[in-house]
Amino acid sequence: MVEQNKKLQNKVKDISSRVAIAAVRAILMYVLFMLTTMLIAPLLEYMPGIIETIETFVIVFTVFMILGDLTRGTIFCHFLNVARSLFVIAYLVLSIGDGMVGTSYESYTITLDLTIFYAFAAALSLLGFARSILQTIGYVNERTEAVYALQAKTK
Amino acid sequence: MKVPIRMLGIATVIFWVFLAAFIGLAAYSIKDLGLDVGETQVSTTPKGELLFSLPISIDNKGYSSLNDLKITTVFFDESGAEISTASTSVPTISRGETAMITHNATLNMNALLHKGEEYLLEDQNLAASVTTGLTLAELLPVQISANFTYPWGAPFYNFRLSQPSVGSFNVTHYSVGVPVSFENHAAFDLTGNIRIQLFSNDDKLLSETQTSFNAPRQSSYADEVEFQIGANSESLLNQNGHFNIYFSTALFEYGPLVIPYG
Repeated sequence: MVEQNKKLQNKVKDISSRVAIAAVRAILMYVLFMLTTMLIAPLLEYMPGIIETIETFVIVFTVFMILGDLTRGTIFCHFLNVARSLFVIAYLVLSIGDGMVGTSYESYTITLDLTIFYAFAAALSLLGFARSILQTIGYVNERTEAVYALQAKTK
Repeated sequence: MKVPIRMLGIATVIFWVFLAAFIGLAAYSIKDLGLDVGETQVSTTPKGELLFSLPISIDNKGYSSLNDLKITTVFFDESGAEISTASTSVPTISRGETAMITHNATLNMNALLHKGEEYLLEDQNLAASVTTGLTLAELLPVQISANFTYPWGAPFYNFRLSQPSVGSFNVTHYSVGVPVSFENHAAFDLTGNIRIQLFSNDDKLLSETQTSFNAPRQSSYADEVEFQIGANSESLLNQNGHFNIYFSTALFEYGPLVIPYG
């Protein structure tokens, strides 16, 4: 009975710590987004629609992050991390395209060649994706080792 | 495996932060760029071309130098065909430096008149495209382009030759006066000669004369040219005919411009 209570207490503690970590990270993400928005505010009037695009990215990224934190310690956490990395790559490909970003202001057209930035960002995203895959492999490996160790113990 | 994965994660985060900071600084460099474009000055070159000089001042208050600055101006006619192209390049504008550039674009009047005589006689709109390309923070190429309309003032706007009128005469020749008038709407002073040939209805050259003129920019010109025609040709003058006009200035030669009379 005491052991059961202890288990329940640990579970509640574990879940509340996950929720707390997820909440803190979500708040940090929101603060970072607000700070970035404030910093790039003077440029936003020249790039209409960019803030909505960034907002969508931040919302989806945060949702993946929260779900990943809540499912920490399970295989779903790693699936969500892989999905998050793929989302970052897909977002980069869809939003930047061929690396040329353009906007118009009055009679002026400004074109920014972000090919080099795009190459760096894509490389870092791929690195993030590789890390998520490695984490998944590591997790599966640990679980398999644990199962084999348990089987060996019971034998 | 956990340690390499963690190190990979830390390295990725550090690189992302560097990339974001770099992009942020480059963006702020654009914001802190002071650009002052002066008024366009129009003059002529020794080659007889129109020279448009645009003084530009670029104050680089950003965090990095500006490289490979190239300003290109292209003039188009009303149909969209290219008339003239000019480029100005500056290799580097260092951080904190102010660069004074004079962007020169030339326009060959003979080439322009080759496109059509409306540029000689009618005010037009020339389309101009100005493209500025530069590399920010050594890595980010930026291009700013703008389209303008340049009002082209015709040098011989409303050019008129009135009906010839017979003036004094002697036994062998008649003196025929023809009033000439035009307005110089161009952005440059006009000095040169006008050669006028007087033809009868059956394309017979009756007489020829020439006059020199001086019409400052945005001024009107009016004069009377005089033809000496043979006494036996006076009857031909009363019928229809035409003038062939040849313009000769320091900037261009054009002719014949055909204007009927009668």
